[in-house]
Amino acid sequence: MTSVQTKTQLSHGIDISSMERSQTPTRIEDESIAIEVDALNLYYGQKRALHNVSMKIPHKKVTAFIGPSGCGKSTLLRCFNRMNDLIDGCHVEGGLRLDGKNIYDRDVDIAMLRRRVGMVFQKANPFPKSIYENVAYGLRLAGINKKRVIDETVEWALKGAALWDEVKDRLDDSALGLSGGQQQRLVIARAIAIQPDVILLDEPCSALDPISTLKVEELITELKNNYTIVIVTHNMQQAARVSDYTAFMYVGDLIEFGNTDQLFTKPTKKQTEDYITGRYG
Amino acid sequence: MTQVSPAEAPDRKPRSIVAGSAGYQPRYLKDRLAKIVVLIGGIGVIAALLLIFVYLLTEVAPLFAGAAFEARPAITVPDDGSPALYVAAEEQGEVGTRIGQSGVLNFFDLHSGALRAQVALPVGGIALQRVVDVAPERSVLAGGLVDGSVLIFQLDYKVTYPDDKRLITPSVVYPRGEAPLPFMPQAPVHLAVRSSDDALMLAGADADGNLYLKSFEVTTSLMGDSEVTESAVQKLPAPVKPDLLLLEPEMRWLYAIDKAAGKIAFYRVNGSEAPKLIEVADADAPIVDAHYLAGGISIIVAHRDGRLSQWFPARQQGGANEGETYLAHVRDFQLENGATPTAIGAEPRRRGFAVGDDQGRVSLFYATSGRLIHQQKLLDTSVAALAFNPRAQLLLALGTDGRLVATDVHNEHPEISLSALWGKVWYESYDEPKLLWQSSSASADFEPKFSMAPLALGTLKGAFYAMIFAVPIAVLGAIFTANFMSPEMRQVVKPAVEVLAALPSVILGFLAGLWLAPFVESNLPGMFLALLLLPLAVPTFGYLWMRAPQRVRQSVPMGWEAALLMPVIALIVWFCFLVAKPIEALAFGGNMQAWMDHVLGIGYDQRNALVVGIAMGVAVIPVVFSIAEDAIFSVPKHLSLGSLALGATPWQTLIGVVLPTASPGIFSAIMIGLGRAVGETMIVLMATGNTPVTDFSLFSGMRTLAANVAVEMPESEVGSTHFRMLFLSGLVLFLFTFFFNTVAEVVRSRLRRKYSSL
Repeated sequence: MTSVQTKTQLSHGIDISSMERSQTPTRIEDESIAIEVDALNLYYGQKRALHNVSMKIPHKKVTAFIGPSGCGKSTLLRCFNRMNDLIDGCHVEGGLRLDGKNIYDRDVDIAMLRRRVGMVFQKANPFPKSIYENVAYGLRLAGINKKRVIDETVEWALKGAALWDEVKDRLDDSALGLSGGQQQRLVIARAIAIQPDVILLDEPCSALDPISTLKVEELITELKNNYTIVIVTHNMQQAARVSDYTAFMYVGDLIEFGNTDQLFTKPTKKQTEDYITGRYG
Repeated sequence: MTQVSPAEAPDRKPRSIVAGSAGYQPRYLKDRLAKIVVLIGGIGVIAALLLIFVYLLTEVAPLFAGAAFEARPAITVPDDGSPALYVAAEEQGEVGTRIGQSGVLNFFDLHSGALRAQVALPVGGIALQRVVDVAPERSVLAGGLVDGSVLIFQLDYKVTYPDDKRLITPSVVYPRGEAPLPFMPQAPVHLAVRSSDDALMLAGADADGNLYLKSFEVTTSLMGDSEVTESAVQKLPAPVKPDLLLLEPEMRWLYAIDKAAGKIAFYRVNGSEAPKLIEVADADAPIVDAHYLAGGISIIVAHRDGRLSQWFPARQQGGANEGETYLAHVRDFQLENGATPTAIGAEPRRRGFAVGDDQGRVSLFYATSGRLIHQQKLLDTSVAALAFNPRAQLLLALGTDGRLVATDVHNEHPEISLSALWGKVWYESYDEPKLLWQSSSASADFEPKFSMAPLALGTLKGAFYAMIFAVPIAVLGAIFTANFMSPEMRQVVKPAVEVLAALPSVILGFLAGLWLAPFVESNLPGMFLALLLLPLAVPTFGYLWMRAPQRVRQSVPMGWEAALLMPVIALIVWFCFLVAKPIEALAFGGNMQAWMDHVLGIGYDQRNALVVGIAMGVAVIPVVFSIAEDAIFSVPKHLSLGSLALGATPWQTLIGVVLPTASPGIFSAIMIGLGRAVGETMIVLMATGNTPVTDFSLFSGMRTLAANVAVEMPESEVGSTHFRMLFLSGLVLFLFTFFFNTVAEVVRSRLRRKYSSL
């Protein structure tokens, strides 16, 4: 219950769904499914980093991956847009279906896949361009060159990332002049500008101060209305605050996956309980 | 209970945070020492650079300094009661000579004016009408007597050192005998005499405007007997009324000048044959005096309006009369303050001349550089005669009142002016103004040609072709190596290319000069075919590889595809040289160079910019490659990941994010490569042919600033104009690299600011 209270205190006013949820916990079985992970094994060379992971990521909900360092939660996240392909000697077995299509099939266009599954990294990585150009970058990649369209989309994306009011007067300034929290929100704006279905967040707040963290968390709750969000976090309070569903991973295994409130209050596995009560991690 | 808390430890003293001797620690000393050492090192580097710059400047500065006159007190020349016809000074600047109308030579001390010796010419009481130079560098003179005969004599100064003191004993010798040679029937208005080992020519003008010409030829038989053939005197009417004659030392050109009309009749003479009038040039203003310059090619004509014009024979360029000789009006000089020139004195060994005017002033000019070097008032009266001594360190100015001022001339580097360094100059014996570098020759009369332009252009040309060859290969190679190559292959490729940089450039130079240049010459079509086909074949192969079946593509590990290109490149090169010969036979009549020469009008040198471009390109590639590769490789991974995560292809990521971010580094790599190419010496020295030409053709050679210094430094006399010109080459080179590096640094810091905090 404490976690729910924290959440309502921090993000007041936007939390009708979680209020409802706190009264009647929803179950994954009732959700529509965005991504289905099916017996996924991932190897770095000979070393197996993910063991037979199967899970269903619900549509337009926030799903958090928690677990101690090195448990494979970021690796699993990077499977969702095939960023692991860039790592030498990494290969994947099993299925990962987006809209019923296995993204590891031969005929998948990786660029198109990544356009539908956006990603935000641990360290904010704005390009050394202007704020405007950072957001427009993805649009230009997609072949959109009409200035009016780009202008509108940039404004829309920056508003969507709750950054518009802070930067609207200096869109042509370098993005590198923004604060860390602003940079992270800019990167989120950049990701939503190309209107993906899924947004992957890889520890998005680990390098931010508490105020910036708060803003990004509010933003995540906001974005949930339109996007399926998967977030990896070290911070259990954060997982509790922002997510609807939480998966606990441990050394490459998915230990437990379920409704966030349930997982934090009544974990079914001992390892989960040990972790969330701070016995290791 | 027995435990002692740390605060009560017996040896613990309270430590002060106040600085000073109590707080002294050796580590502060080390810190300060290191600071001083680093400071000294840093300032030392800057100081060394500045010192080099200052040294170059001090060596170069005298080139642009003017001349100085150091006038001795005026003296009254001891005369013989008759008007002076001629004054001269000997080499040491100690003894002067005055020749009076009566035929008496007075040798006098140039410091005190005291008479040193007196010699009477064997003229038998007949007065002299004119005394003219025959060979000024040897003090050979000719006197025209009132009766029309001519006496040739030479001033001779014997230098002895009795009691270790210099003693100059003047005397007169008669190389053509003491008897005057009969020539004209009456006294000459003016006279010109030239002599060589085997010939003598006399030209004279009478008061009626007739020209007289007589030549003597010495033929030496096999037995060593010599016989003098004397031609009859030719008398011919002139189109102008000549009162000033100038004959070329080689006895091929004669100028008959009508002073009042300001016209120059220009003749071609050939021994005893009748002279041929080529043209009568209009000098536009009445003429006061005219004089040959050293070397016997140019004449300087002084006009009453204060103008001085330089003329020499040249051939017509273009037009109906192409190739025909005419008298070219080359350039003009102007006396200042509206003065009228009265006398000209020419330096015996350089193209300098002094002009005296009616205000008693002497102006020193230099013909090649077109420059007024110095002017100074030496006399109170107008200048009657001017004469340099043979070394041109002493100038005599004789006033109309018989007073003479001898002045020491300090005029080391009159040949240089900014316009002569960088602009086109009409040199003697050329048909039009040109940019030339020709610093020395076998002949002492040679007019040095010091134009920096061909050298600067050659430097830029060599660097340009090298960069054309090197930059695409190096930068594209760096992009591929940093971005697409597998790490294992990169670990092999990068050090391998960097080892190339350690190759001494002299090895590249002689490979280029001794192997590549002949190879390119005999395989020119093959070279071009390879240059054309290789850039086409590589992408074509890449495309075919993309279309190859998955099975084939997966047989090569990722990032190793580049290795497959090597056999392809080898095959293409082999193919190019295989088909080159048949193509050459078919399309170019068997010889591409000859075809280019005849059909396209492009000349071909064996050592040319193509060879240098390749050889120096090879030297530049490792430099550019290494720095550019580092720059691209050090673009943060999270940036390219961010781009890829937005659905960019690797290529889009490269163009959109990686290259812009790495651009400062790539730019500085190219600039450092350019600096290397501009300053490179051995390769261009050995592979260019070192011809200082000004064209940008791929098939001609060049001479660069650096190679020029290397070639000519051993043969230049220390302190001479040539020597300082080489320092100027060095300075220009220094400025070039300074300029490129500054531009590079400015652009780089600007780019870096744009992409900062990464």
